[in-house]
Amino acid sequence: MAIDEALLQNVESDWPIVIRVYRWERPTLSLGHFQRIDDRIEHPLLRELPWVRRKTGGGAIVHDQELTYSVLIPTRDDNPAKGHSEPLYRAIHSAFVEKLRSLGWNAELSESCTCSTSEGRNTDPFLCFLRRSPVDIIIGDDKILGSAQRRSARGLLQHGSFLLRRSQCTPGLNGLLDTKKKSTSLKNLRDDWIADASNHAACDTLSEDEMNGWCELAISTLKAGMSKRVEVNWKNGRLSDLI
Amino acid sequence: MSITPEKLKYCNSHEWAYVADVSTGIATIGISAFAVEELTDLVFMALPKVGQTVTAGGEFGEVESVKAVSPMYSPVSGTVVDIHSALVDKLETLTVDPYNEGWIIKVKMSDPTELDRLLDWETYKKQCSH
Repeated sequence: MAIDEALLQNVESDWPIVIRVYRWERPTLSLGHFQRIDDRIEHPLLRELPWVRRKTGGGAIVHDQELTYSVLIPTRDDNPAKGHSEPLYRAIHSAFVEKLRSLGWNAELSESCTCSTSEGRNTDPFLCFLRRSPVDIIIGDDKILGSAQRRSARGLLQHGSFLLRRSQCTPGLNGLLDTKKKSTSLKNLRDDWIADASNHAACDTLSEDEMNGWCELAISTLKAGMSKRVEVNWKNGRLSDLI
Repeated sequence: MSITPEKLKYCNSHEWAYVADVSTGIATIGISAFAVEELTDLVFMALPKVGQTVTAGGEFGEVESVKAVSPMYSPVSGTVVDIHSALVDKLETLTVDPYNEGWIIKVKMSDPTELDRLLDWETYKKQCSH
């Protein structure tokens, strides 16, 4: 996540759009940019977790059985991030909804909002996955993907968290694989690893292969979502090519 | 007297500056109605401290809308002499009246000629329409 911050600080107008998908070595709490670290005291299961502060806004996330993504968009004339935040959220989240629906999940974009502008930020739940913002991805009552942004004169950074399975640190928050599919028919499934993940819903943790499979799905879905906003010739790159 | 947007000078990044009395060298700074609309629902604002120096084009604070954090850039250089601390707890003021009750900081300018580099209302309006 520090790499994302470094990329935003150094981004130049001639850089490509950068997509990153990553996991964390150990369960870690990331706070939204303006959140108070003291607020985690009210959540006993979160007190002992290592924590970081994101440059992006929103609520706290437990990075455990999830994938974190970042999208960096340099500021330039064809900037697909210009203006409201919502179109970029919608483009990426809609791509995830399409993908998940094709795999049998009844995913949809949230229309509700827990945010309060009249009473201040303290009325919002501490955890991102307990909040609801327009275009969050939900399945029934469960939020399984949320995103947040930071804008600067040089570019825009969007972070997101794709919750795959409930964490022991937040046992009340279901991940994608803890939710039921709308249909038991798997004929739309093209990837064996997804079928495996679904059939082993009682497992507490995802295997390396499963995680890697979800990583690949997240990357291809992010590319599809971004391609709705701007034409991009994607290629695998190295961070050392940029900074 | 009410400040109207035609009387202000603007940055490309949507902050405005207004000098009520040139002899004081103090500029009042805020963000435009266009910026407030683009940001949508504002939930948090971080302001500088009185006495802090700011530079033209440099960040003086941050504002968080619903899950997007954006910096605010100073139109002029100088020293912060006043901050609108009550605004932080009543950000909806920016939606209602961004040019009067929604002022954010006041800066004692170190170089008032920097105002000449800012956009006038007509130019700023054109930029926003693109």
